[in-house]
Amino acid sequence: MRKYLVMFIALLGLASVAYAADSQIWGEMRIQNILGYGKEGSSHLGVWFTMLQHKYFAWIFLGVLIGVPGAFYIHYRIIGPKVFPHSAKKYYAFNLYNRIIHQVAAVSFLVIIPTGFIIVFGDFFGGGTLVRMAKNLHGFFTIPFTIVVIPMALMWLKEALFNMDDIKWFMILGGYLSKEKKPILAGKFNAGQKMWYWVAILGGITMILSGSFMFFLDFKMQMLHDLTGLSQIDLLRAAAIIHNVMGFAVLALFITHVYMSMFAIKGAVHSIITGYVEEEEVKILHSTWYKKLKDQGKF
Amino acid sequence: MMDYARMKFYCDESRCIECDGCSVACAEAHELPVGISRRKVVTINEGIPGKEMSTSIACMHCTDAPCQQVCPVDCFYIREDGIVLHDKNKCIGCGYCLYACPFGAPQFPRDGAFGAKGAMDKCTMCAGGPLETNSVHERELYGQNRIAEGKVPVCAAMCSTKALLVGDAESVSNVFRARVMARGGKGINSPYGWDKAYKNQ
Repeated sequence: MRKYLVMFIALLGLASVAYAADSQIWGEMRIQNILGYGKEGSSHLGVWFTMLQHKYFAWIFLGVLIGVPGAFYIHYRIIGPKVFPHSAKKYYAFNLYNRIIHQVAAVSFLVIIPTGFIIVFGDFFGGGTLVRMAKNLHGFFTIPFTIVVIPMALMWLKEALFNMDDIKWFMILGGYLSKEKKPILAGKFNAGQKMWYWVAILGGITMILSGSFMFFLDFKMQMLHDLTGLSQIDLLRAAAIIHNVMGFAVLALFITHVYMSMFAIKGAVHSIITGYVEEEEVKILHSTWYKKLKDQGKF
Repeated sequence: MMDYARMKFYCDESRCIECDGCSVACAEAHELPVGISRRKVVTINEGIPGKEMSTSIACMHCTDAPCQQVCPVDCFYIREDGIVLHDKNKCIGCGYCLYACPFGAPQFPRDGAFGAKGAMDKCTMCAGGPLETNSVHERELYGQNRIAEGKVPVCAAMCSTKALLVGDAESVSNVFRARVMARGGKGINSPYGWDKAYKNQ
């Protein structure tokens, strides 16, 4: 495993060295790529990418950017936030390690997502230095996220596995459509949080991989070609398509995550800052977990 | 209405002898850094008698320029004569134009922060860029602007077998037609890459 990791990093590092001499894009393969472009039996990825990027990607991003917060704004006005006393007992749910890992990922996302937007709407921002800087930061802040993504995946894996509670949670959409404070079935994480966990972890890893393909561009990894049957340029086209499509999902759920913690549940954000969750909040929104903690005498 | 000439590249595969002169001339004329080759000679079916052929490839200056369609910062512009150029000061080096290009023309020097891709470089058909014509800055960023000086792009100008031609669509077609006629209609009848580059013309 470690051997492969070292090989992977070495290959990516050597990619720029091998740039001119042994190029995967501008070398021998170039002619095959040209012959195959848009031809019958080819992957058509060049044509697909051109069409999607030209006509749809930016509009879908704009739709998500306006639509998701718009829906939450309506939710906030009609149903309003859930307010819990925050004066009762508290339970220490997130230790320092959890919080540091989370905060590193949070800071990364707070840079990666806005800079991603500046790139997508680069023409609006006029291109040049600002957008170029956004592109560089977009790549640079991938490094801290890459470091914490695996620890984060492991530390919350057990709580993020779906179970029967989640079906009921989805049926009532977590109770967020009603003003009533009725206990809702959920463990430490509810179905919505679990969904975000999987999109952030699996989606995040997908974003890291597809993004680094595009960053390193001209690297050679025979394994990838054997596995996918795609040429280097088609791999890059696929990476660009996947990076954008996965971006929609990550963005939509990121906005949801921020809305829930900052607005929809008043004060919920403090649990990841201080590590303490509030009793009433756990009792209502995570009733299965509450029962378990109560049995253990934690409250 | 004024009818503008449409500039096109055409490489006659039955004449190209894979001498690489065009790409060397291009790199020298525009003082390109190592690792950037705006024009490249490729040979297919190497060693197979009767099937081997060579051709010279660079940006074809497509009618529907896919690079222009996908560019997130809109740095491309198409001149009235059809030459596809781009603004390197706007370009962020994202690589999207390369993914869209049927010819693998866009190249990326690694000069950005942490080895990030720098501004894209490609064939300008020796027409420079958006900066002041024949200025030092234009020459530094885009190379010579031979078109403005009334000269033929350097690759075609030096092609020893006159395989590589460049010019307005009609003149190029006339030369091509005459050559096919002279060969008795034999050989390739559609110039390489034309179906992709100049779809609607």
